[in-house]
Amino acid sequence: MGNVMSVSFAPECTEAKNKYDDCFNKWYTEKFLQGKSLNNECTEFWDTYITCVDVALAKQKIKPMLDKAREDQPFTTEEIRNSAGTSEK
Amino acid sequence: MVLFFEHTQSYGHNFETASLAYLNRYPNPYAKHVLSSDTLESYIDDEGRLRTTRLVVKTGRLPQFIKPFLGNSLNSWIIEKSVVDPKSKILLSYTANVDHRKFIKVEEYLKYSCDDGKSTLVESKVKFSSNFVGFKQRIEQWSHNRFSSNMSNSREGLKFVMNKLKEKGGLWYREKELA
Repeated sequence: MGNVMSVSFAPECTEAKNKYDDCFNKWYTEKFLQGKSLNNECTEFWDTYITCVDVALAKQKIKPMLDKAREDQPFTTEEIRNSAGTSEK
Repeated sequence: MVLFFEHTQSYGHNFETASLAYLNRYPNPYAKHVLSSDTLESYIDDEGRLRTTRLVVKTGRLPQFIKPFLGNSLNSWIIEKSVVDPKSKILLSYTANVDHRKFIKVEEYLKYSCDDGKSTLVESKVKFSSNFVGFKQRIEQWSHNRFSSNMSNSREGLKFVMNKLKEKGGLWYREKELA
């Protein structure tokens, strides 16, 4: 994205993250939003990136709290359906 | 006591650009307190929606009166969950702090929807809640005030990213087609 790239919380993962993000953005814009692809096609970059992040996260004290927060289920199926419904004018 | 803050804003960019800007909103010159952002999970659900979980780290800007209770934890860890439905052109997002939840929990719900093909409506609702006896009201009021003043920064940051994406053209040709 532009000149400044967003970084990973773990500096050693930033390079892998940028490669994944570039691939993701292209896929999101050119395929996903246009209904041309239902598979995230960036798995090659994803595997490297997430492996790096998982290793770095395991060393963080925050890990148990983060795991708990990841269980948050903010959107029910009904909420999503309703919000989609209101847009169909 | 629980506080709510609601806001609605329309942006002059189509859903494709607006949702891409949301997913790429950091870094930007209006969010210097954001240190990093990582994707922890990304998949397409049974109904063709993109589900993403992210981790954002910000420098902690905690009020002075709370610091003695939290020690040296200077950074805030934020979880972000989003759902993008490409058919109805709707993005829902939820962000919440990961740590310090017993002091204060700040949850933000966002909804991006296609307004008229050319613009995108963003509705936001923020909930502040605290169970910290004695400081409850002060914490909630502090968060609420801080959020109000930060609101314009996140708006400017998003606009900055949207304009940048549009400048790049090429990839985002649909915006031009519709304009």
